[in-house]
Amino acid sequence: MSTPDAPRSLAEALRACDDAAMVALLRARPDLLTPVPNDLSQLATRAGTRASVVRALERLDRFTQQVAEALAVASEPATYGELLGLVAGDGEPGEVRDALDRALATLRGQALVWGGEDRFRLVRTARELLAPTPQRPSPTGLGPTVGEAMAGMSPGRVQSLVSAAGLAATHDAVSAVEVLTALFTDRKRMAALLDEAPPASVEVLSRLVWGPPYGQVTAEPAAHLRWLIDRGLLLPTAPGTVVLPREVALHLRGGRAHRVLEATPPPVLAAREHRPQVVDSTAAGQAHMALATVEELLKDWDEGGPAVLRAGGLSVRDLKRTAVALDVPEPQAAFWVELAYAAGLLAADGETDERYAATPAYDTWQELPVAERWTRLATAWLVATRTPGLVGGRDSKERTLSALGPNLDRSAAPEVRVRVLELLAELPEGAAPDTESVLARLRWERPPGTSGSDLRARLAHWTLEEAELLGVTGRGALSAHGRALLAGGLEQPTPVHPGPGGGAAPYRPPTAAELAAAGKQATRLLTPLLPEPLDHVLLQADLTAVAPGPLRRPLADALAVLADIESKGGATVYRFTPGSVRRALDAGQSASDLHAFLTAHSRTPVPQPLAYLIDDVARKHGHLRIGAASAYVRCDDEGVLNEILADKRGEGLRLRRLAPTVLATPADPATLMEGLRSMGFAPSAESAEGDVLITRAHSHRTPPRTAPEPVPDGPPLPDATLIGAAVRAIRAGDLASTAPRKAAPTATPGELPRTAAAETLATMQAAVLTGETLWIGYVNAEGAASQRVIAPVRVEGGFVTAYDHTADEVRTYPLHRVTGVAELADDPS
Amino acid sequence: MNGPLIVQSDKTLLLEVDHEQADACRRAIAPFAELERAPEHIHTYRLTPLGLWNARAAGHDAEQVVDALVEYSRYPVPHALLVDVAETMARYGRLTLSKHPTHGLVLTSTDRPVLEEILRSKKVQPLVGARVDPDTVAVHPSERGQIKQTLLKLGWPAEDLAGYVDGEAHAIDLDETGWALRPYQRQAVENFWHGGSGVVVLPCGAGKTLVGAGAMAEAKATTLILVTNTVSARQWKHELVKRTSLTEDEIGEYSGTKKEIRPVTIATYQVLTTRRKGVYPHLELFDSRDWGLILYDEVHLLPAPVFKFTADLQARRRLGLTATLVREDGRESDVFSLIGPKRFDAPWKEIEAQGYIAPADCVEVRVNLTDSERLAYATAEAEEKYRFCATTATKRKVTEALVRKHAGQQTLVIGQYIDQLDELGEHLDAPVIKGETTNAQREKLFGAFREGEISVLVVSKVANFSIDLPEATVAIQVSGTFGSRQEEAQRLGRVLRPKADGHEARFYSVVARDTIDQDFAAHRQRFLAEQGYAYRILDADAVLAEDA
Repeated sequence: MSTPDAPRSLAEALRACDDAAMVALLRARPDLLTPVPNDLSQLATRAGTRASVVRALERLDRFTQQVAEALAVASEPATYGELLGLVAGDGEPGEVRDALDRALATLRGQALVWGGEDRFRLVRTARELLAPTPQRPSPTGLGPTVGEAMAGMSPGRVQSLVSAAGLAATHDAVSAVEVLTALFTDRKRMAALLDEAPPASVEVLSRLVWGPPYGQVTAEPAAHLRWLIDRGLLLPTAPGTVVLPREVALHLRGGRAHRVLEATPPPVLAAREHRPQVVDSTAAGQAHMALATVEELLKDWDEGGPAVLRAGGLSVRDLKRTAVALDVPEPQAAFWVELAYAAGLLAADGETDERYAATPAYDTWQELPVAERWTRLATAWLVATRTPGLVGGRDSKERTLSALGPNLDRSAAPEVRVRVLELLAELPEGAAPDTESVLARLRWERPPGTSGSDLRARLAHWTLEEAELLGVTGRGALSAHGRALLAGGLEQPTPVHPGPGGGAAPYRPPTAAELAAAGKQATRLLTPLLPEPLDHVLLQADLTAVAPGPLRRPLADALAVLADIESKGGATVYRFTPGSVRRALDAGQSASDLHAFLTAHSRTPVPQPLAYLIDDVARKHGHLRIGAASAYVRCDDEGVLNEILADKRGEGLRLRRLAPTVLATPADPATLMEGLRSMGFAPSAESAEGDVLITRAHSHRTPPRTAPEPVPDGPPLPDATLIGAAVRAIRAGDLASTAPRKAAPTATPGELPRTAAAETLATMQAAVLTGETLWIGYVNAEGAASQRVIAPVRVEGGFVTAYDHTADEVRTYPLHRVTGVAELADDPS
Repeated sequence: MNGPLIVQSDKTLLLEVDHEQADACRRAIAPFAELERAPEHIHTYRLTPLGLWNARAAGHDAEQVVDALVEYSRYPVPHALLVDVAETMARYGRLTLSKHPTHGLVLTSTDRPVLEEILRSKKVQPLVGARVDPDTVAVHPSERGQIKQTLLKLGWPAEDLAGYVDGEAHAIDLDETGWALRPYQRQAVENFWHGGSGVVVLPCGAGKTLVGAGAMAEAKATTLILVTNTVSARQWKHELVKRTSLTEDEIGEYSGTKKEIRPVTIATYQVLTTRRKGVYPHLELFDSRDWGLILYDEVHLLPAPVFKFTADLQARRRLGLTATLVREDGRESDVFSLIGPKRFDAPWKEIEAQGYIAPADCVEVRVNLTDSERLAYATAEAEEKYRFCATTATKRKVTEALVRKHAGQQTLVIGQYIDQLDELGEHLDAPVIKGETTNAQREKLFGAFREGEISVLVVSKVANFSIDLPEATVAIQVSGTFGSRQEEAQRLGRVLRPKADGHEARFYSVVARDTIDQDFAAHRQRFLAEQGYAYRILDADAVLAEDA
């Protein structure tokens, strides 16, 4: 039933499709474009490569994957009817038909399926990947076909199977397989055959039917197994192993390739419904908190943040400290730090002693209106690939991942983030999703591969948590301003082949302009929700002040100096302590300033204990004064001091009166003394204890110096040990160079002895026995040659252990470094 | 969005008291939030796991808590806090203690992993017996209190369904002729009885004894009352005879001097904690009768051995009474887990507004040390410093001036140091009551004071608690036990009995300026300041000038 102009290959099929389809293909599988293929056959080849096919298959939604899996177990090429049967089973296809059409369109669009109108061919690589083999069971849980399983079976065995199944004998194995296949695919005859089966056999079949289709049998199978094996309902694959043939399994399954068909995407369920106003205001409150937290973080780091680790990032200790300072758990602290980083508000300063600090952008950011500040953070968060959720975990090399450190980028992060928010946006306003249903939906849209950790699910979890922290969602539901972030500019291109039931379109990062537009919209929606900053506080007699809402910045800053913050949130509770009041006084405020400030900003009269506290601290503040002076003038006669102060000549001394009888100056005592003398006074110096120092005429002195060491002309005189050692060395060297040798005709004096390795060894061994002393040439590890006189003690393992007369100690020499050996003449002594 | 409540992320709740919905809000959050501070404008409540669990025990669920918070909150409630509330409350009731027909006391779980988790804890292991079935484990009956306390610390509070023993029945009725329980007292009794066991917190002078009597009338069973000292024991006896159907013969006193065990027995903490040869011989008292109710007066003073013994009394109803549940040793939570949760708490100012305690004017009088005293203070040893500045001679002059100023009013002078008190007594020509004063003498003097025969009484810390002196109008505190907050409150309590003419009470605290005395005073005043008593500060010179 092939149509005459059906394409004969994928290349031909591609050749036949129009430009729009080609664009869609290349958009869906951008890897085909690098490098740009020369022609369509090259494109088709590349589209059939294993890596590319795997990538394409992984990005399909669950149902499309199931269709591809069904195609892989169908005949090649498969008809629509066969495929529909595999997908929907023997029953009524119903809605599945539409889903199947869409899935096939997607597969064709992605060049995974080609072929004529009713002749669907899965790309060969895909078929190989998806078809079941004994090594790699397919997700369908189906086994090999009868034909595959019976390949290589003896003809006699084949015939006995045919007759046991109640069929007429055939003349060859091929036709026997056909007969059996025909029987197994015929529902009626199969049903009749299975009706006769013993109950235990049916039980065995039902265990294998949904896979894995393999089972173990003993050498002497039990009767009920025997019954199945005899009729080919179980076919042996290897000794002791049987398999349920695909046709039988399909019969038992009612024709379906998948136990659970996931034709429609699982809906995202609403767990709770809140009034949209509640959601928006909760989110706005949280947005306000988020801003306060980021500001607090950067304020904490204002005068130099924590150091940058050598490998990059924040140390665990610094993160802990930050978490304590912000009063949040550590993972949250990591989130805030990363958020500020992603928004460009903090960075490493690049100095030699590198630290983190706020960027100049932070100062401009702070000047922005509140809502806009939030939008900056939210948009930065939305598109960031950095993933704070990973902080504290370990990477593939078992290194701890630190906040602000390397290896925190996950390219899937923005995609999942946007998708999760889109799913939230599909719910009615004010509905908080059931997390599990969101995850199920994401899993359907992009089934996790076989690789254990489901990064996308974790990303989705983090997205939900972070969106709540940031105030994009409130009480779990997407807020109006959060919705604006998505809708304002992030309209994704409509997919050419829309996924069934609104599957996700491929993700495309938003452009800067789109983000800005979205941000603007969000800012507009958020602004009215944020509380108006207040200009007053409530003062209480227990020395606390409560700001029942956010305060205007100058007021908040001033209060933060004057009082300690006890509790934060929608309101702020301040506590006045002597320490905090002193801090304000130190900052240059006077007690009356503070009274005026509190009266101006308090809705209630200033409680008396508070006024008293301020006065009390102010009374003592500055009571003691501390300064630095280098010299002083002391005189019991105030008149003389007046005279000195009045004298114009003394101006250079910068004298200042500390008390009626004391003047102080930053000049040093000698200058002061000199100056006063020149003015005609006769001061005398005073010691630290107050005694008069009696000085004679000026004798100039250097600072303490040590006397010079004598520098002798020649080398220093050696001591006895040195001399002894030198003598020994000289003697030994002399012995080595001048000792008369017995058999070293070739060796001229001063040259190293050279002998063959065997001879060297033999001489050494002989010397061990006789206790003779030898003269050797030796090259050390650095290549320096020397001559030594040794008395070998032991020769073994390529080493000679000997008493070295030259060094006067026992040493070990590798034989291969000994250039040669010569016997010494008998010691003259 | 203009509610009276602000929910802070650190789990404190700020309630603006002048708001029109403030009362409704207070009623809505009282079951689960602890009142922490009640100054004039904004009251601070705190959400604690204990508070939330108690709310669960009293039949409130997380939904109600969340609704109350959301309804009255001015700003959006942080989501994390709501989640935390729900999660915390969900931890309650996964474990229950109940009576099993064959295995006795058992701990049952509806959530097996929780049971596994707690059974793995080293602290729980010695308290439990055999595993009855996968969800049930036997508990030694004597460890009922211990296991509850331990589970609370592990964060899995057990719901105690094992009930109480009724104890030996004994007819007790309130004799409400000429008086009646005040509404808040009735409420306190009701809350306690409904909850089974627990603590009632009422200001000094607000009639805690009557709450005790009310509880006894509900229990109608033999009762053991634990009080701080013998004088207090006598007062209890006197009050019970007067207010209930009990007769003098039915009430026994168990103290250093008398050892009577009667259907209602009043014992002092001191006698119970007397230790002889390493054992507490008088703890047998707990087992000497089948008590149906155990009353702990001034429960914030509960000594450690009684804590330990109370753990074994979980099958009996327990009522703790106190004005100030602040312990400088931080063992408040032990009180809650062993005696029971707070069943009733009334802010002092609220009771004052209802007219049941006298309004009080608290004044801190700051005394300047003389120059020679300052020098001596600066050179004093660290441990002597407080004593030195607290007993400075200038204080004496100021105290005398204050006593003269209030001549004709019943005045108590309260101090810590006996030398100082003796000296003051001499100068004021007033009797001194201190530790060595015999009980007979004490009662005689208190009696004379009540009758108005003596108008000034100098007392040491023996009179801190439970001494009922309704006529005292002025209290002058010259020194105290360092920074003890509850002592300050208790001393103020001495003058809070409502006066016949609605007269305002005066509480003076004489403090030496710029010394640690002032620092301690600031700490001592915290509790009362948080209850809304605003201290005025006066200069001693002003007092002396007025006097001159």
